[in-house]
Parts: sequence; C-alpha cells; structure tokens
Amino acid sequence: MIRLGSAATIGLMALSRIAQLVAVILLIATFNFVLVRAAPGDPAQVMAGQSGASDPKLLEDLRKEYGLDKPYAVQLASYLGRVVRLDLGYSYRQRRAVVDLILERLPATLLLTVTAFCLALLIGTTLGALAGLAAGSVLDTVFTVLSLVLYATPVFWLGLMLVLVFSVTLGWLPPFGYETINVKLSPLEHALDIAKHMIMPVTSLAAIYLAIYARLMRSSIIEVAQQDFIKTARAKGLSGPSIVVGHMLRNALVPVVTVAGMQAGALVGGAVVIETVFAWPGLGRLTFDALLQRDYPLLLGIFLILSIVVIVLNLLTDLIYRLIDPRMTTGAA
Amino acid sequence: MSEAVQAKAPVLSVEGLSIALPEGGDRPFAVENVSFEVKPNEVVCLVGESGSGKSMIAHAVLSLLPKSVNIAAGAVTVAGQDPAKLDRQALRRLRGGEAAMIFQEPLSSLNPLKRVGRQIEEMILTHQKPMPSAIEVHERVQQLLTQVGLPNPKLLEKSYPFELSGGQRQRVMIAMAMANRPALLVADEPTTALDVTTQRQILRLIDDLRRDRGMGVLLITHDFGVVADVADRVVVLRHGKVVEQGTVEEVLRSPKADYTRELIDAVPKARLDEIRRTAVHPTPLLEVIGLEKTFRVKRGLLQPPREVVAADGISLTLYEGETLAVVGESGSGKSTLGRMIMRLTEPDGGAIRFNGQDLRQLRGEALRQARKQLQIVFQDPFASLDPRQKVGDAIARGPMAFGTSRTEAMEQARKLLVRVGLNAVAADRYPHEFSGGQRQRICIARALALKPRVLIADEAVSALDVSVQAQVLALLAELRQEMKLAMIFITHDLRIAAEIADRVIVLQKGRIVEEGATADVFTAAQAAYTRELLDAIPGRDFFDQPGFASVTGALSTARMSS
Repeated sequence: MIRLGSAATIGLMALSRIAQLVAVILLIATFNFVLVRAAPGDPAQVMAGQSGASDPKLLEDLRKEYGLDKPYAVQLASYLGRVVRLDLGYSYRQRRAVVDLILERLPATLLLTVTAFCLALLIGTTLGALAGLAAGSVLDTVFTVLSLVLYATPVFWLGLMLVLVFSVTLGWLPPFGYETINVKLSPLEHALDIAKHMIMPVTSLAAIYLAIYARLMRSSIIEVAQQDFIKTARAKGLSGPSIVVGHMLRNALVPVVTVAGMQAGALVGGAVVIETVFAWPGLGRLTFDALLQRDYPLLLGIFLILSIVVIVLNLLTDLIYRLIDPRMTTGAA
Repeated sequence: MSEAVQAKAPVLSVEGLSIALPEGGDRPFAVENVSFEVKPNEVVCLVGESGSGKSMIAHAVLSLLPKSVNIAAGAVTVAGQDPAKLDRQALRRLRGGEAAMIFQEPLSSLNPLKRVGRQIEEMILTHQKPMPSAIEVHERVQQLLTQVGLPNPKLLEKSYPFELSGGQRQRVMIAMAMANRPALLVADEPTTALDVTTQRQILRLIDDLRRDRGMGVLLITHDFGVVADVADRVVVLRHGKVVEQGTVEEVLRSPKADYTRELIDAVPKARLDEIRRTAVHPTPLLEVIGLEKTFRVKRGLLQPPREVVAADGISLTLYEGETLAVVGESGSGKSTLGRMIMRLTEPDGGAIRFNGQDLRQLRGEALRQARKQLQIVFQDPFASLDPRQKVGDAIARGPMAFGTSRTEAMEQARKLLVRVGLNAVAADRYPHEFSGGQRQRICIARALALKPRVLIADEAVSALDVSVQAQVLALLAELRQEMKLAMIFITHDLRIAAEIADRVIVLQKGRIVEEGATADVFTAAQAAYTRELLDAIPGRDFFDQPGFASVTGALSTARMSS
C-alpha cells in the first residue's frame, strides 16, 4: 500500500494525457473542417455576392485564389498539415493572420468567462451549501425557488432586462462595450471602468451556472449529511461547524467539480450570446461575424482554439479531482 | 460476573425507554418500555432481528437519533448524565469522551477523503483540554494504533480508509473510539460486515480492551453466536420490546421466551447430527476443470497493475441433485467461480463441462440454451430486482425470452410465487413492497422459472435475518428435492454450509484448500485454513458444550466432537 509521492504520479499522468490530447486535437480539427464545409455556401460566394456581381468568372477566380477548387481531401490534408505546424492561416475577409485576430480578442473573452465562472462557482456552492445544511427551512425554499428562476431565465433576456433597468432607467451602468472610449484614465481608473462594464455581462453569464452549482451543491450536501461518517463525526463529539468544514464540504464538492469542469467549456459557448448582447469585443462576436461571412480559416481557427481551451479545462478538472479525492490517484475506487 | 462488578454503579442505564416513530409507520413505537443496565467491565449484548429497535436504542445512548423520531418516555443515563437533557457543549463532551461508538460498516463510517491518522487526531483534539501539543497527539495516535493491533502505525496513519482492509478499518474505528478512554463503548453490529476470522479478531480486541480498561460495552448484534462468545448479559428484543434478559448462561441455556428459543434454534449450528448425507448420483452434471482467472487492477501510472488471483486451477464436479457448498472469506474467489460457471465473467483458462458440452466453446444460440439450465440467485435481494418492473414480469421475462407466451408465462409466474411461499397477487406488485426475505423468494422464483438443472446461490441468504434465513434455506432444500436441482451454494458462513450441503469446497485465494463430504470437512478438517475458519465460527465453543444440546429440546441428538 505504499503510494508514490502524489506530485510525481500526477505529473506523469499529465504527460500521458498530453500525448492523448494531440491525437484528440487532430481529430477535432478534422471534424471541424467537415462541419464547416457542410454548411451551404462558401466564402467565395459570399464575397462575390457582396460585390454585387454573381459573375461566374469572379467566383471561380476567388475559389482558385483560396484553394477552394481543390478536392476536399487535399484541402483537409493541407489544413491538418498547417495545424500540426501551429499555423492557423490567414483570414480571407479581414486580410490578417487568424492567430493575431484570435489573440486580440481572447483576453476579453477570458476575462468575462473566467470571472463569471469563478463567481458562479464561489457564490453557487456557498448558497447551495447553506441551503443544503438548512434543508427544509424557509432559507432553503427561498434559495431553491430563486435558483430555479435563474436556471429557467434565458441568458440573452436577462442581459436585455439588466440593460433596461440599470442603464436605460437608472443610468448606473454602461449599457455595452468593454471600456469607455476617448477618455484619458489612470491605470486604476481604467481597471475600474472595465469592471463597471463587466458587471452586467458577467451577471448574465454567471446566473445560470450559479443556479446549477447551487442546486448541485445543495443536493450533494444533503447526500453527504446522510453518510455514515457524518454520524461518526457526531458520535466523536465534533461541533456542527467543524463537521461541516472538516467532513462535509470536501466530500460534497467532488460532484460539483466534475460538473463544473465539464461546463467550463460550455460557458465559453454561452459567452457568444452575451458578447453579442453587450457588444463585448471578444471571441464570441468574432465567431458570429466569421460564421456569417463563411470565413473558413478564421472559423476553424476559433473552433480549434476553443476546443483546446475545453480540453485543457477538462485536464485541469481531472487534476483537481485527483487532488480532492485520493481514491482517484490509485484508481482503486 | 464477580461481586465487585455487581457493586459498581452502571455506566449506562436505560429505564423505561420508549422511542416514538413518526406517524403513519407500521407501529407507533420503535422501542417500547425498554430497561437494562451496563456495568463497568461488562459486555451486554442487545440481540434482535432487523426492525427490533436495537439500533435505535444504541443511537439514543449518544442522542444520535434521527430528527423524525423522539424519545417518548423513559430515560437514558450515561455516566450519570442524560444525553437528551444535556446542552450542546456537554453533549459533545459526552460523545467521544465518556461514551464512544463504532458502527457496522467501517468503510462508510470513516471519512473517505481524510487520512485515518487525522481522523483519530481529531478525536483527541476535540476532547482533551488543555489542547495537547502536536507531538503528544501524534504519539498518542501511534500508541492507539499499536494497541488495536495494527501493524506499522507510521505508514498506516498516513493511509486513506480505502487503502485498508475491512478488519483494519474497524480497528481504526476502535482506536478512534478508545482515544479518550471512554467508560462506555457502544458497538452497533461491529463485525457484521467482516469475514468470520476477522470477526473473531475484532471481538477479541473489544473484549481485551474492556478488560484492560474496565469499560462497559453495549454490543448490538443479530448473531447468537457472537452473543455466546462475548456477552456477560443478554437483552433479547422483538418489535421494540424486551422479550427477555439475563446472563448469557441463563438466556442461551434455558431461554424462557419462545421467541428466544426460536432464534437460538435458527442459528445454523454446524453440528454433525444435523449434517445430511445424500446418496450421490453417479453422473456428473457439471465439471469444472482447471479454471483460471486473474484480475488486473490498474494503479498509478508508474506502478505495475496489481494482480488478484481469483481462480488458480479450480476443478470441481457437481452431480445431479447434489448440493455443493463453496466457502471462503471475501477475496477467496468464490463469487468469481459462480460467475465464471454462468459465463458472466470470462475465465482466463480451463474448461466448464455441462451436460457433455464445453460451455466456454458455446456461442450464440447454443450458449443461450445452455444458460437457461444454469441459474443464479444473488446476495442482495434489493439490488437484484429491477425496481420499476413488476414482480410477475421479472419472473415471466425469462420463459418469454425462450418462446413461452406471455399469458402462459404469467400464469407460471403466479404458480411459482405461491410455490415459494408468497401470494399469487404479488405478481402485480413492485419489488419495494416486499421485505428482504420475500424479495429473495422472488429471486428464487425468477431463477426457477426457466426450470434450470443447476442453481447457483451466491450468498443468497447472507443479507437475511437469522429466522428468515432458516426459512429460505428450508425452501431451497424442498425445491431441490422437488425439482431434482443441483445446487452450488456459495457462502462465507460455514454454519450454513454445514446445514445445507452434501459436499464442501474450501477456497482460499483462488485455490481449493479442502474438499470433501460435509461431515468429513467439519469433523476432520485437513487444511490448517479450514480449521482456522471452523474455530472462528462465533459461539461454536458455547453451542458445542455437552450441556447445551440436552437443554434445548430441538437439538437433543448426539453432538459433534469438537
């Protein structure tokens, strides 16, 4: 029963997982490629249409220029070749490298999603734990109803209502954007300005996840409270708070971490809608535009980056899971 | 029971205790007007079947009753205090201080995410004022782990519960309970989840500790064997009421209440006079030849997978109409053997011949036809029935899969339900409406619906109360006669094996260490391991005493030599 230092075990596990990831990423890239081509229309059509002339010669020239005239298999092979070389290509429409476009927008999206995720997790689990500990009480009922309402509220609608109340009616918060433009601000003022712009998008994005984590944590706490080892803890003479902190929380967090890890990826998807509602200059907005324009390289680039983000998040979840639950490290559970 | 013990004030006294159940239950009180005492250095056993309220009483002692039930009348006094009347602070000092408790399932009773050393430390830190230094606490933990007979305490305190064996976990629980030298230990079925040899070690440990410390022990059990081994006094409970109480000699040798006598009689005795001998039919029905199976359990990346040998060249023959018991402790491979014969688990090597065919070579339809003749009943009657399927459907589904019409299959299912001692209307009800014993009858009816020639019973009565166990065993014996069934009876309980089997196979770590006619194995065991198992049967010494058989009328014939 001698276990290796858990750091070494975890490190090795991470290495083997990374090897698997490369294969997974290539598969995803292939899938993305096929999916994008499956949509009707192509960038040449969109461009030719926008220039007013449906001239077949122009269409053909554009297709040739972008390599769209070659067989799918050849296009796919050259795409995968570029992915392996970490080259995401060049946007037809924006006439810039895809990597640059994404890197420009990624920080804003990460700022939005990471903040929303952390808040949802922190507040959600706290409220859920409180409700679970007081199961059946008034507090529990209020929390449960509230989380159900939040859970059922469409993200974009919540966003619009927030704008209506806090920007239009009360005028407290800026209705859209990332920062106030055309003003000179000190770094601190600038940070506060961004924070002020973040309040509503973050709230809209976090609401539904907060509700999910609260509900999950509540049922998890109720379940753990019925476990035998909680009875043992009571029989040991521990006080209520030390039972909660010392025995319940960590056990109750295990299922929440699993779900949170899976949903962290979905959160990035949810950001597309929110970014559109609040004109947030992030990846979401970029995706939306690229999609309308059938900007293949940009779309594929965004999809790939998002896939990698999701995969990395899942890897992180696995690692955190192993830190929380020792049974996972040896696979004996 | 010396005079000195008699004179001391009791560490626990329960007087006229009644515990009310929430309204709408099957009875108003879980426990009604129960009185008894536990004195220092005394082991009192609270015996009863499930639903007798014995666990409720144990929980009331530490005021650990669920919120929905209340003490309606009477009082509990632990070391001079009534836990129900204490404020929170004082109650917490009592719990784990003057009175400690251990539970049935040591794995679930320990926090899975905390090292066991930390869990014991917590017990010390909560109670000892002024707070001892970290070094003192650590030393005390080491000392406690050594006292409960755990090897290598340094390594062990760093382990998580899942890394320990069942016996080690229960030792950790006991170490934790002992941390503050309690005057009273409440042990709620502490050995029920353990193997017979581990059970004996744990009972001895509890007995040694109470002698060392003069501690009073309240031991809850359903097993009269355990009572005979460790109790000074016995309280027999039925439906929440005390049926009788007295010293172990009084209650076991001359039970006053009929119910006590029934319970004692229902204990499988592993006695020669009860062992049956059937003329063995000469044709082998099932032959297992050199069966091998190794499970590889994945561990960390660097560590090689752990190999668990479940079958290491097992060969056996089952004759028509014969009952063969396969006994062994958990991990001996007895369940895997049953599953391999059913081909639910694929063996690594060897052959299984049934009716002249090699089962391992069969595929598709041929395998389906062969499987029909081999049926299995599992241990847990709650988990082995689909909760959303009506009982009748569960039974009829098998024959229907082999072409019987639904009407006919349902008709047959009703007949089978009557045959196993239930009502035909049971067919239209769901499994949750039945008790454990009734469900196991349903499982048996389900297995028999296909008219099998071999029935494998995998710990089929282990989860049942002793009196229900006796009924189900009797039913199986009848059915065996009636349907000329050959049976493989897998069990960890040697007493049951002795009662039902013609021949016995003893498994240890995937190998057959002993094989023979039941009478021979039980009187003249060849293997040391078999003797160890036999010695560990709880209550064996007591029930084998010359005086005993003559007292209980039902067991009056010649006794087996010990």
